Formats: sequence, C-alpha cells, structure tokens
Amino acid sequence: MNVWSISIRNFRHKPLYTFLSILILSVSIALLLAIQQMEASFKQQLENNLGNIDMVVGAKGSPLQLVLSSVLHIDNPTGNISFEEAQKLSKNPLVKMAVPISYGDNYKGYRIVGTTNNFSILYQATLEQGRTMEKPMEVVLGAAVAERLDLNIGDTFLSSHGLAEKNDHDHEEPLTVVGIYKPTHKILDRLIVTDLNTIWDVHHHEAAPNDNHEKEITSLLVTFRSPMGFLTLPRNINSNTTMQAALPKYELERLYQFTGVGVITVTWIAYIILIISCITIFISLYRMVRDRAFDLALMRTYGANVRQLVKMVAYEGLLIVGIAFIVGILLSQIGVRFIFEMIMDQYKQSVPLLLNYKEIAQTGGLSLLMVSLAIGLAIFPIIKMNISKILSHEK
Amino acid sequence: MIKTSGLTFQYDERDMVFNFPDISLGPSENLLILGKSGIGKTTFLHVLAGLLTPLEGKVEIEGISIHSLSNRKMDRFRGQNIGLVFQKNHAIQSLNVFENLQARLFFANKAISNTIISDLLEQLGIIDCRSKKVRELSEGQLQRLGIAMSVIHRPQLILADEPTSSLDDDNCEAVMQLLIDQATINNANLIVITHDGRIQPLFQNSLTL
Repeated sequence: MNVWSISIRNFRHKPLYTFLSILILSVSIALLLAIQQMEASFKQQLENNLGNIDMVVGAKGSPLQLVLSSVLHIDNPTGNISFEEAQKLSKNPLVKMAVPISYGDNYKGYRIVGTTNNFSILYQATLEQGRTMEKPMEVVLGAAVAERLDLNIGDTFLSSHGLAEKNDHDHEEPLTVVGIYKPTHKILDRLIVTDLNTIWDVHHHEAAPNDNHEKEITSLLVTFRSPMGFLTLPRNINSNTTMQAALPKYELERLYQFTGVGVITVTWIAYIILIISCITIFISLYRMVRDRAFDLALMRTYGANVRQLVKMVAYEGLLIVGIAFIVGILLSQIGVRFIFEMIMDQYKQSVPLLLNYKEIAQTGGLSLLMVSLAIGLAIFPIIKMNISKILSHEK
Repeated sequence: MIKTSGLTFQYDERDMVFNFPDISLGPSENLLILGKSGIGKTTFLHVLAGLLTPLEGKVEIEGISIHSLSNRKMDRFRGQNIGLVFQKNHAIQSLNVFENLQARLFFANKAISNTIISDLLEQLGIIDCRSKKVRELSEGQLQRLGIAMSVIHRPQLILADEPTSSLDDDNCEAVMQLLIDQATINNANLIVITHDGRIQPLFQNSLTL
C-alpha cells in the first residue's frame, strides 16, 4: 500500500468519469496528431514527387499549371514547345540533365509520358522486371499501374487520346509492356513511360503526314549542375525565348500558402478541443477533490501530509493523460491509415506513412502541460484544506 | 497520558470564545465528555487532536506540547499517536476494508502487517467483510471498521466524536464495549464526546461541557 496504489484504486472507483476523461482527451490528441501527420506526409509526398527536377520549361502560361501538369501530372499542359529549341537549352553548361516529355494519351486514366530513358533517373527508379524501352511502341510501367491494371511483361494494349479516362478515341497501334519499375512512392508509380517517338508516331499517322512537321514536346524537365542555374536560367528563358521556365519548389511553396489556411483552421479546432478536454479533466479532478473532501481529510488524520495527497491526485491525472496519449496515438494511426487507403484508391498512388516523433513529442508535451495546469488548479483546495471544518460537517 | 491547561478557542474575531475545562488523564484512563449540540464538543475534540489551534492554553500528549509542532510534524504525530472515531464516514470510499487498514498504517508510517490487520478484524467481528467496499457495509459494521481504523496503529490517545449516535441500542453497547476494550489492549487513553446518555454507565470519569 502506497500513494500510487491508492491513486490506482481511486482511478478505478468511478469508471464512467475516468472513461469520459480519457475518451475526450484521447480524441483531441488523436486529432492533433493526425492533422500534423497528414500535413507532413502530404508535404513530403509533394516534395518527393519533384524528384531531382529543379526547373521545368514549357509553353507560356501559368507557371503553377506547368508544374502541376509536367511535374505532378495532375493538370492539363500549357501547350507545346519546339523540340529543337528545347535541345538547344539542354546544351547550356549550367544544365546537368534535361529530360523532354510529351503527353497526349492515356490508358484507362493513367497518363502515357513520352520521354527518354533518363526520365527514370529523375526519380532514382530501377526496374523490377523486364528492360528499358529500346524502340517506339514499347512501354515501361510504374509499379502502381502494373499492379492495378494487372499488366505483365509482353502484354499489349491500345492507348486512348487525351489525358482523362474515356473510351471514344482509341489509337490503333498496340503498345507493348517491356518493363516494370520498382515502387518509388513518387509520381512515377502511376505513369506509363514510353519513348518520345511513340507519341510522335501515333499522332503523325493521324494528322496528315508531313515530313517538315516540326517536332514538338510538352515540356523539358531540367536538373542544374549548380545553384547558379536558379539565378540565371529561368530569367533568361522567360525573357529571351517563347518558352517559360517555372521552379517547382517555388510554385509548390505558393500552393502551400493557399492550402495552408485550411490546415491551420483544422489545427486550431484541434487545439480548442484539447483545451476543452483539459477543462473537462480539471472539472472532473476538481469535483473529485470536492466529492472526496472527507476522504482526503480522513487521510490527513491518518497522518498523510499535504504533499502525499497532492501526489495522489496528480498521479490520477497523469494516469489519465498517459492512457489518453497512448489511445490517442493508436486512434490517430488507425484514422490516418484509413484516410490514406482512401487517398491511394483515389489518386492511384501509394503515399508513405510518416510517423513524426518530434510532433508526437510536441503534442504529448503540450497535453501534459495543459493537464498539469488542470491538476494544479484542481489540487488547490487540498492545500487550503481545513480538516476540522470538513470533519465537523459530516452530519 | 494527556493533560490540558487553560484551553480557549475562537473561530473568528467576532465569534464567541470557547472556554474548555482542564483535563488530565493518567495511563489507560478513559473520559466521557457530555454536552448538548452546539456547545463546542467537536471543537474541543479537534483542539485535542491538533486539528484546530487554540487561542490560549496547551495540550500535552505523552509530554509533548502538540501545538508547538510544525504542520508536518503535527501530521506525523497525529497519524502515529492519535486515533479518531467519527459518527459517520469512517474510511476511504475507494478502498475495501482491508486496504483501508493498510492505508492507515502506511500514512502513519508504520510497518504494514497483514496478520495484525486480520487479528484486529477478527476481534471486532468483521473479518468476513475484509474485501468489501466501505459503502457495502451496514451501520454496525461501519462503526466497527471506524474503531479498527482508530486503533490499528496502536495510538496513545483515541478520540471519539459521537461514535454511537447513529446506532441502535444493541449495536451501541457492543460498539462502545469494543472501543473500550481496544483502548485497554493498547494502553491508550480514550476520550468520547457525546450527547448520547446511553453510554454513560460504561465510564468512570465524565464531565459535562
């Protein structure tokens, strides 16, 4: 028998009170953690998707649209640029690598990207099976595409015109799967990669054949040799050519500023819930101290000093926080996993789950601080306790 | 052994001043203090227990002037040397009978002996209730538990505040007899304050406030 074991018995004495306190606190902790984790995961995911792309060059228009379409593959392209002009740019000494991409087709909603074998280097992707493409009409699949469409090496399919899934306009030449990439958790997972010539060939046959037809691409993905590139190249391209250059990192920062408002609102709601749950804990501890005033006075007559009683009530509060915190972490993990499953289905891409220990520690520290405050206020009557008065009001 | 001299008490500067009679008890002597409600019986008992500080005068228990002790020492002295019995509310609600006695010894800073606890519960006839929660006990069982709580740590002085007023005649006499027996076994002084005339015949010494 000691102070701790009395605390545990007190804790179990009123199970409903205890349960409600733990429930409300753990839900608010779970909410805070889930929001932080999802924000971190999405940011990480977006930045992941940039791969090694420092700059993207495409047709004039909205730079954000250019980044969304050519880097994140979620919007329509701004237009086409001349392949020849793009190739001149590739020879600039500040450019380490320049990968041309060309769009126009999809297969069952998955975009077909015409590019070179260097495309996979941008995402540090390696082959799971098969080989890289060697001639037109060969494709290498991202991991998610292969899995969801159940395609294997040697399978063939017909692509559809456009970027969205619809069945009206199929091209006649079949594409053959020659390789499948390992999962990268990047955008590559949900792309179908083929040679630039595939796109050109397919569309040339349809348009009136014209040998002088200038070859066009959608955009050029550029990796710089040194940070100097950031300073000079984009300005140069934007003012001296008909193309525009956009910096994905910069455009994404702008995007966060728009979407951040929503995240901040939800975060504040979670903080408010946390405050409310601390008030609830304060009320339940305070009531407990009031309801048990006689018990506490009795313990004083048994020889307990104020410190022991304060410890007893504090242990009870800490027990509630401890359990609520563990339950909160579990709840948030279950919740986040559930949401991510949904997102994966919707966006056809796997998102890595990040468990951010720093943020867990921060949230834990914050709830501990708040609950300590609640405990501090609740035990105030113990310190001021007038044993004689409490005992003489027993009748 | 307890000795008081010139005790007075006042709750608030505007309130009336209580004047308490001097008492002096030798080893194992008992005392019954009678008085009507509102005359300051409980106040007197709380001054004797060190729960209230007197305006003037002093209380000596085993030669120690208890009101000159610091708060912390007073808590310890009370826990180790005094046993209190109340009219109702005899023990901690969240603990069972056995755990209450363990807690009583823990707070008094004394060795927790399950054998001693079992023996005492046996003597008081509530050994069958050892695992029951406080609220599951009858009035008679509760008052026996109250006695157990006041003597388990072998105090020098047992102070009882209206211990029998909520008991029927049979329980009243049995409980009082148990209390007196326990005081004798422990060589403790027993002071009972009450307005319950039924128990007067059990005491040699009595005074009226």
